[in-house]
Amino acid sequence: MATPVTTRRCVLLSLVLLLAIGATAQTANEPSQSELVNALLGRIDKLERRVAELEAGKSPGSTPQPQTPQAEVPPMQTLQTPSTEEVQKRVATQTHEHDEHLPNGAAAEHHFPSLQLRGFADVDFSATDEPGSHSGFNLGQFVLHVASPLSKKVAYFGELSFTAQPTSYTADVERSIIRYDYNDYFKLSFGRYHTPINYWNTEFHHGLWLQTTISRPEMIRFGGRFQPVHFLGMLAEGNIPSGPLGLGYEIGLGNGRAGTISRAGDAGDVNNNRAWVARVIARPTGLRGLQVGGAIYGDEITPTPALSGHPRFSELIESAHIVWTSETPEFLSEFANVHHRDSLTGTVYNSQAYYVQLGYRLPWQQKKWKPYYRFEYMHIPATEPLFSVPDFEVKDLVSSTAGIRYDISDFAALKWEYRHIKRGPTDPIVNAAFVQTSFTF
Amino acid sequence: MRKAATFRAAFAAALALTLVCYSRSAADTTAVQDIAVVVNPNNAVNNLSLSELSKIYRGERQYWRANLPVVVLFRTPGTYEREVVLRTIFQMSEPQYRQYWVSKIMRAEATSPPAELFSSGMIKEGVAAIPGAIGCVRVSDVRPDMKVLRIDGRLPSEPGYRLH
Repeated sequence: MATPVTTRRCVLLSLVLLLAIGATAQTANEPSQSELVNALLGRIDKLERRVAELEAGKSPGSTPQPQTPQAEVPPMQTLQTPSTEEVQKRVATQTHEHDEHLPNGAAAEHHFPSLQLRGFADVDFSATDEPGSHSGFNLGQFVLHVASPLSKKVAYFGELSFTAQPTSYTADVERSIIRYDYNDYFKLSFGRYHTPINYWNTEFHHGLWLQTTISRPEMIRFGGRFQPVHFLGMLAEGNIPSGPLGLGYEIGLGNGRAGTISRAGDAGDVNNNRAWVARVIARPTGLRGLQVGGAIYGDEITPTPALSGHPRFSELIESAHIVWTSETPEFLSEFANVHHRDSLTGTVYNSQAYYVQLGYRLPWQQKKWKPYYRFEYMHIPATEPLFSVPDFEVKDLVSSTAGIRYDISDFAALKWEYRHIKRGPTDPIVNAAFVQTSFTF
Repeated sequence: MRKAATFRAAFAAALALTLVCYSRSAADTTAVQDIAVVVNPNNAVNNLSLSELSKIYRGERQYWRANLPVVVLFRTPGTYEREVVLRTIFQMSEPQYRQYWVSKIMRAEATSPPAELFSSGMIKEGVAAIPGAIGCVRVSDVRPDMKVLRIDGRLPSEPGYRLH
């Protein structure tokens, strides 16, 4: 007699156990928003598959035969099979609505023009022990970047910056480029560029959020004289068929430096000699993140105000870089030699600069922390006339920068940085601390 | 003794049933399928290496030939196809992918990231309508008006195929 009762109890217990497990699973799988979206996306896929099956089924003699073997389509048990007429009607209505209101696959092709706007900005705090300096906050740069395809082969890119000054803001057209693409091997553009003379200048532009550190290296800093940051003219670029080597080239012709050599000749060339630049880079496909490159730049400089005797200077810059952009670790290194020759006396001046930067994305705390260190060196001969100006106080710069970057979100970062700078053999050492938040929007 | 044995048997049956239900449910949600790389049927390309495919998706190769620009059609976040493409082709996480395109557009190497479509049906429409289109769909979503590319000489479902 006890057996049926026991069995009933056991079955009851089992049911309770099953229900409890089921209820627990249900609670644990409380659908979040992303799960809901995923479920809806899955549902769309299933419905589309079902429609495709029905469409194929109604066409006489048209059995869908994909060009490749495919897995069996799972049956749709949750849908009631409607009549062929009903399906036809639904598909027609759906297609009509699709065309009018919803994005469809065919609409994924570009419409021309279609402006893409992105902004970059930063807020900084700095404090140094340099005599006469003040600590405080600084608004940094507010940068707008625009990109717009004008046709399948023509595109426009622009970059505007607004920089806080003591009495107002200065607005600058940093880049303005119109480019015609013939194919991957030949693209021709006209406009104002960041000179493709090294790595940093064409990689990070004015987007401080893009770069690991707060500041640019001294050798390519904005407003600096060592290398021409901007270039106005035309540029041909493209890939070089090279298989796994991943070679690319850039060849440019333009105005070169203005009379004030820290600026580009935006309003016209100051002499009748065009500047030229050529750069070759390699991005091997087997070593994703590695880039090796070299560039050469030539120009004739007519300084304004004129130096004593009105000399002109021929300029030749050779540069090389090797970078590893994977963040575990990140390694950036560049070298440049600037060669000037006085046209009156024939005197030659060679100045060199390099930097090495190391960073590492730490694996903890969702990889938000990235410490880094950069060493910079710059040597300029004491008699070099083009760099001997009050606003370019570099003779033999030795600088160390150590900092840490914390990514607040996918598009915003906070950086703390310490710099130890010695500008010349007789100059005092300057220590400086910086904090910056930079972001894109 | 008999009571205890019956209880144990019923409990074991319930446990087995629960495990079977769970394993079936898990199998449904984590089913691994190959992802097929599909292009317009008029595209002359039949085979790509994985590194060539990576260059196309990364925007480093933007033309099939002079008059035929590549149009990459991508799925929206949260889909299996996107997860496979990010893992095997881009070798990036979702945030890294978004940051990659911000940087690429800033460098004037592209005007926009790949178009993101909500369903494989939209990929199908795009591939059929746009001559230079390329997309990735589950192998069960391949339709007659799609051309499936060999990747490193292999089609989906063949041994050694890497997109899954």
